[in-house]
Amino acid sequence: MAKVAREMVEKAGVNVDQLVELLVKNAAAELTTFYYYTILRANLIGFEGEGLKEIAEAARIEDRNHFEALVPRIYELGGELPRDMKDFHDISACRPAYLPDNPRDVKAVLNVLVEAERCAVRGYTQICHMTAGKDHRTYELSLAILNEEVEHESWFSEFLGEGPSGHFMRRGPTSPFVSKFMPSL
Amino acid sequence: MRTITRKDLAAADGQNGVRIWVACRGLVYDLTDSFLWKGGKHWVLHRAGEDLTAALDEAPHGVDFLERFPVVGRLAD
Repeated sequence: MAKVAREMVEKAGVNVDQLVELLVKNAAAELTTFYYYTILRANLIGFEGEGLKEIAEAARIEDRNHFEALVPRIYELGGELPRDMKDFHDISACRPAYLPDNPRDVKAVLNVLVEAERCAVRGYTQICHMTAGKDHRTYELSLAILNEEVEHESWFSEFLGEGPSGHFMRRGPTSPFVSKFMPSL
Repeated sequence: MRTITRKDLAAADGQNGVRIWVACRGLVYDLTDSFLWKGGKHWVLHRAGEDLTAALDEAPHGVDFLERFPVVGRLAD
């Protein structure tokens, strides 16, 4: 734990135990999403599926990166990850991104993907509201993750025909916003 | 529509297997089947058995999320 780092956040008026619990729930959502997206991506086959496979993979890897980036902050603030892997599913901040009943229905898969991203966008927006001006490090981290989740949502939303996203999918290294919180990248 | 007292609402807090109800804008919703309300807590910050009308103003979603769930009654004044 970073004792003074935690104290500073407490003194700024943030309920640090609540914040840590939220970060753990969101970390759980990222890790479980990484797993569920593996199955979704594997099932994106055929002509329709192939067009979606690469952006599903980019979102999948970046969600894993989000988990990796959150872990140190959780421990800095005096929190910890669940001891039992099974708990990640139960405490996740977002619904499981299950493969649809008809795995060949690409639109159904897209809806699962976009709803997962939308849950993440709401979640990190909430954490940004809680920490803005009070917990600068968590705010920066959450904002970085939020930037990537917004891009993920917009990719899938565009595929659903909901309107242009305004940008291309990721080229080059993943996590342009979050990578600075991950020295291993 | 059934009228639900604040005492009845408070009892539906999702603890010990009871139903999970929340009130919003005068209606009481049954969120027992919601993944995001397991154990009667939502996002660490909110508890079942309460009127969350004011909290909705600060939420990153609208009342449409609640409207996906059954209404069990109207909250008594």
